[in-house]
Amino acid sequence: MCAAGLATCVLSTLVATGCSSFRETAADSPRPSADVFTPAHETFGQSVNEFLWVKSTPHQPIEFPHKTHVAQGVKCTEYCHEAVTKGPRAGLPSLSTCMACHTQFATDRPLIKQITAIADKGEDLQWQRVYGYSPQSHVRFNHAPHIRANVECSTCHGDVAGETVATRNVDLNMGFCVSCHRQKNAPNECITCHF
Amino acid sequence: MDRRSFIKLTAITGTSATLASCGNPEHQFIRFLPEDEMVPGVAVWKPSVCPACGAGCGVLARVMDADADVIRKGQAGVIRMGVVKKLEGNPDHPVSLGGLCSRGQAAIQITYHPDRLRHPLKRSGARGSGQFQEVTWDAAIAELVSHLDALEGAGNQKALAYLTRRRTGQRAALVGQFLAKFGAPAPITYELFGDDVLRRANGLSFGREQLPTFDLARARHVLSFGADFLGTWNSPVAQAAAYGTMRQGRPGIRGSFVQVESRMTQTGANADEWVPATPGTEGALALGLAHVILNEKLRPADAGRAGSLILGWSEGLPDFAPDRVEKITGVSARRIERLARDFAARRPAVAIVAGPPLAHTNGLFTAVAVNALNALVGSIGAEGGLLFTPQRSAGGGLAAPSPQRFASGAEGRTIAQELAARIPRSLESMAADLASASMPPLQVLLLDGANPVFTAPRAWKVREALDKVSFIASFGSFLDDSTILSDLILPDHSFLESWVDATPESGPLVAVASVAAPAMKPLHETRSTPDVLLEVGRRLRKPLGLTAQTYDETIKASFASLPAGEGGADAWTIAQKQGGWWGELPRGAAAPPDDRKPARSFTFVDPQFDGDANQYPYHFLPYPSTQFLDGSLAHLPWLQEQPDPLTSAMWSSWVEINPTTAEKLGIAAGDVVEVASTHGSVKAGAVLSPGLAPDIVAMPVGQGHGSFTRFASGRGDNPVSILAPMAEPESGTLAWAATRVKITRAGGPDGKLILFAGSLREEGDLGR
Repeated sequence: MCAAGLATCVLSTLVATGCSSFRETAADSPRPSADVFTPAHETFGQSVNEFLWVKSTPHQPIEFPHKTHVAQGVKCTEYCHEAVTKGPRAGLPSLSTCMACHTQFATDRPLIKQITAIADKGEDLQWQRVYGYSPQSHVRFNHAPHIRANVECSTCHGDVAGETVATRNVDLNMGFCVSCHRQKNAPNECITCHF
Repeated sequence: MDRRSFIKLTAITGTSATLASCGNPEHQFIRFLPEDEMVPGVAVWKPSVCPACGAGCGVLARVMDADADVIRKGQAGVIRMGVVKKLEGNPDHPVSLGGLCSRGQAAIQITYHPDRLRHPLKRSGARGSGQFQEVTWDAAIAELVSHLDALEGAGNQKALAYLTRRRTGQRAALVGQFLAKFGAPAPITYELFGDDVLRRANGLSFGREQLPTFDLARARHVLSFGADFLGTWNSPVAQAAAYGTMRQGRPGIRGSFVQVESRMTQTGANADEWVPATPGTEGALALGLAHVILNEKLRPADAGRAGSLILGWSEGLPDFAPDRVEKITGVSARRIERLARDFAARRPAVAIVAGPPLAHTNGLFTAVAVNALNALVGSIGAEGGLLFTPQRSAGGGLAAPSPQRFASGAEGRTIAQELAARIPRSLESMAADLASASMPPLQVLLLDGANPVFTAPRAWKVREALDKVSFIASFGSFLDDSTILSDLILPDHSFLESWVDATPESGPLVAVASVAAPAMKPLHETRSTPDVLLEVGRRLRKPLGLTAQTYDETIKASFASLPAGEGGADAWTIAQKQGGWWGELPRGAAAPPDDRKPARSFTFVDPQFDGDANQYPYHFLPYPSTQFLDGSLAHLPWLQEQPDPLTSAMWSSWVEINPTTAEKLGIAAGDVVEVASTHGSVKAGAVLSPGLAPDIVAMPVGQGHGSFTRFASGRGDNPVSILAPMAEPESGTLAWAATRVKITRAGGPDGKLILFAGSLREEGDLGR
């Protein structure tokens, strides 16, 4: 009897997650809808997804080919995500970072023409985060100490160098973090990440 | 639950989840290219100056990258930029010493306030209707310029007035220069809880028309007459830090502290002994103590100039024997003797006076009497006593206006007198005014940080006066009660977005000139008011020829004469790095005291009150609220939700009544009471408080705004509105504690009074 109800529930959730223009749940979602901070999720849908560990698929403004850039010798943490060694966030490059090279290189390609036009208008690209935690989970991740401990980017982000647009290859749940911390004898107190 | 309803429920939940998770609002926003390079996730601390009160505390602003809603070239969008996320006290700054009060902490909300004005606005509806349309900066400045040009063309420059709150530093100097070069009168300064009476008294007693600084950290005994120096008065952060040292910072020494007042303040609640005195008689009590000290020869009788101002000082104050003072003040003669002996014996001792005692018609006498008491125990200029923060003199290339010139309205008049003198009250009187008055009627009014419609008693008729001014321009960042009446609004940057400077008048023991560059780029299409004034000065038909092109040049020039620091760095470089310059002023740069001894003498006269004592049996005490001071911070939601430290009330107005009085009148805690004076009435919920004399009714100032953003508009009631136009006669300042009222129960609790704690005592039995 309950199976029918459960099925409806699951079905509804699938419909919800399948909704193409799904709201990104990354830690720095571009715009908080409420003026006041609250630990509650913004929508019921978000809390359901959070509970079921369902993540949205980010939609990037352009199909950024990571593979091509890495093949050309562009270093991930030297040019585009250069804040990774300095602080908590790796940083998503602004269009001015792209234009530092692309006023010279590959200017005839259609995508480059497209971004040049956007830059000329004084506007930026609305990159969406692929990884991240919802503010409600109270996780504070800091990239810099991991880089200092020589953790490879690919440990947590998979083989981005072989991809075009980055996808979520690794499921960054608490078990993933804790097991790695155990292996490497890194601190495992709650306060290490939740503060 | 049956199977059918379970399925229905899950279907509803599922559908709502589907609907709720759709939509992608971030795609509706334009994302601009960042203007500066930020390292994501890494904070930078930049100095700034707190704008919440006149103390001028140095703060540090934590700047980090974030997505901010901005307006660029008239287009709303999102930009990744360095924004201020938190304010803390600047540990190196001599005023704040690393501390920051809750008002300062909340000041960050000024910048991000959802109701902040984002563009220049021009009135489109009737005056006061709140209808405005957006205009460009070019058009807005052109409009102001055309009105000023018209005045200049008619040779009527004196018809321009500039109404501001008290400011120090180069901003005040620039405004003064602008008006002087245009030919208009000096700015009218108005603050409800301004300390002009105390400044005047210090000018008489010590030759310095300036607020005093108390070396509490090294004092052994403090006697305060009504001064809420730990909560709202003067420089609370500096005073609280020094007080902490006095009480607990010296091993083996704990300073003692006595507070004299008729309503217990946050400061009074900290005292070792709390002495209630009849309102308006605190000066007599001070002389009663002086009488005992003189009579018992506890100290040498000489109190110099401060003592000579008091009638009968050289004869040992025969009129102020303790038994007589007991009759005046209601403090027992034995207690007076003990307080006097303690004050003389514990050295160094210092007396402080401020707040309600000076807000009576005899306020100047009270201040002069306490000054004499301080002089008698030798605390003037002494370690652990009363000092004056060194001020830079007006000469030496520093064009800061002297405090005297800026103390109150032009020629020491209040805003009410000023406006009354210059605005025709009616058509009948206009002819007479034009024929006789030295001032032509006011035609253009510039509002800068003052909100007189809210902070002046209704009996002054400020609102009516403003209605008669033909053109009002405001530099306000919010549509407050006065700015909403303006014809043109030229919104200022927030303090975090502009150059700020302040010259604290009191608080630190060394000279301080605070300055800070913008901590972040402006979010909206606002402009720094000093820069707008400079541009107006350039665009007038007859340019004013102000020397500087930008405000920061003006500030920089004022630092030129200050001495260089270690390693040869000049004062300007040091100041920008650490948030200000502080230290010993070079010889000749410090303003000397005025040595001319005033030929005056003061003695106690009974305070005058408005309202017949039989019909209006209670003294009304409006007091600066811990959260909002005079109401200028009521738009900040963090402060609205901060419980009052004594009553725990938040988001509301309340009336404090002694439980005995309440019982007599049949008022229970939370009941709505009506407080009526001869000039009107206000209503609010009753808070029964034992820290209040039975014949006093107190009410915090700050709520009751007609218009002041979504958080403060229409919330609570404004006690200032029912004040009688009583004034301290010499300085002309409002005697805000000189109104009598009657109270009646207007009904049961209306749910508007919100208390964080259930009642003042755990058992909640005060209403019985």
